[in-house]
Amino acid sequence: MARKATQPTPPAPVNPDLIDKALAKTVCEGDIVNFRLLFTPFSPARDDSPEQFETEKYAYLVPEADLERAPQFKKALAAVRRVETRAHIQQELEARRPAQLPSDLLVLLGDNAVRVGKYTSAAEAYELVRVRRRMQDEFFAQADVALDGGDMAKAVHGYLIATGLAYDYAAFPEPLPAVPDYQSRALMLHAEYPPNPQDCVAMQDPEAHVRTALSYLLRDSQASARLDARPLKARLAFLVELVGRLEPQWPAFATRYREASAMAREFGERLERGQTNGAGAKPSLAEEIEEAFGEDPRGITAHLLDRTIAGGEWWQYLKELAYKHPAAVLFVARLAVGDYEVLVPRYRPDSPLVAALGLAEDLSGNSRLS
Amino acid sequence: MSDKGYVNYFDILGLGEQAKPGEVRKGYKRKMKDLVLEISRVEITEERRARYLLAMAKLNAAFYVLRNNALREQYWQERQEVMALEEEWRVAAEMGGDNADALRRRFERKLRDFLTRYVEEAMLEAGRDRECVEASHWDAAHERHAFRILRHYRQSSYQEILERLPYYDVTPPQIDWDERQRAVASILAGEGG
Repeated sequence: MARKATQPTPPAPVNPDLIDKALAKTVCEGDIVNFRLLFTPFSPARDDSPEQFETEKYAYLVPEADLERAPQFKKALAAVRRVETRAHIQQELEARRPAQLPSDLLVLLGDNAVRVGKYTSAAEAYELVRVRRRMQDEFFAQADVALDGGDMAKAVHGYLIATGLAYDYAAFPEPLPAVPDYQSRALMLHAEYPPNPQDCVAMQDPEAHVRTALSYLLRDSQASARLDARPLKARLAFLVELVGRLEPQWPAFATRYREASAMAREFGERLERGQTNGAGAKPSLAEEIEEAFGEDPRGITAHLLDRTIAGGEWWQYLKELAYKHPAAVLFVARLAVGDYEVLVPRYRPDSPLVAALGLAEDLSGNSRLS
Repeated sequence: MSDKGYVNYFDILGLGEQAKPGEVRKGYKRKMKDLVLEISRVEITEERRARYLLAMAKLNAAFYVLRNNALREQYWQERQEVMALEEEWRVAAEMGGDNADALRRRFERKLRDFLTRYVEEAMLEAGRDRECVEASHWDAAHERHAFRILRHYRQSSYQEILERLPYYDVTPPQIDWDERQRAVASILAGEGG
């Protein structure tokens, strides 16, 4: 006797209210990853998907009560529930092909992402709608107006957003939003050992130093070129504001920098005394110093970073320093001591940037950022 | 129909499509000499280095491909084919034809192949050609830097083409740029939106 085939029970349709709220949450939070996830073939928003919103692993897609009361969420929900948008969403969730994403929601998502500082998410959303470059230009243009009006905070904010929306078309295998890469850029800045102490980045004349600093910190040659035509005073003010924005921990670093400068000065004096008292008598300068004074100049680098890297080379310190304090690498130099190298603080005493950032030893406490 | 984004070696050398191999050589030598002179006159910054390397790679590739009749014909034919396919897809997409998606996939594949061949590969191959090396002093260090620059150029060209094509992965947006300006102003003013 043939066994009767059991019909699989069709899955219950997904609650449309839940779909709306999950979409509104991603739009409101500027979350492009989860926004796209909701349209994937395995999305819990699809009726034919084995995944369900009700399971614990998708709880993060559903907004909490607090969020539902937020004005941004209500605005996003209203956008999701617009008749044409809602109909399109439903149609795409029912279709068995890659979904066509609703542009109006993507633009709103991009704006919200910029507001909360998720620039890569915003860049991706704008890029999908093909407005990224123009949005970048708009942020640059309005930031330039703010700069002309002396509103540095707004100008820096605008530049940070505009550069944050950049795309790395050389990324492999596919283009991706550009991300901060100070660790690599710092190595490039210090790639060559300065044959003369005056040749290092930190000892450039103020004009060149500011140009290097802007190009390095903004990570975008076009953005820094926009600032080139402006007076040095304006660029300095911009730079100080930029460092303040990029590095909330800068005052603590500035204190360590001043202490490290004092250590380096003391080390230099000892070195000179040591050399006068019979240089060449020992096989290595480092050993000679260590023997005579019992201290390792690598402590200066470790003090700058606020930690010791076991067996760390100068470039390891440099990379970590660039990661923690991107601007710091503009004020250090490589110094060969015997058979190893250290990073030491170095700056021009007449540099207005050093004074403004509170790095000069005699200006302790006078910094705008301290 | 715009041909922006499809690398045009004739334009790079400032020549017409009927240019003879002798004119190609002459045009290349003149352009390369001007470029080398310009490079020697200015201070090399990171941005300028990228720009000059790209200009040099383009000139080398244009010369390398156009001086050889077989390569030149193949290049021009592939360029015409991919441009025709773009047009075909555009028409199908505007008419809402059933084959629009299949055409788009075919076009995308062909476009990627074209750009990879003539923006990346040809430019790197040309850098190893004896005549190009003599004229441009291209060496292994140039090639190392050029990898990233050429990939960026290829993808920018792809994007340039993509931006004028019908939307398919997102709905066609209705962008009001006055509203966008206000949105940017509100973001910079720190308003909630």
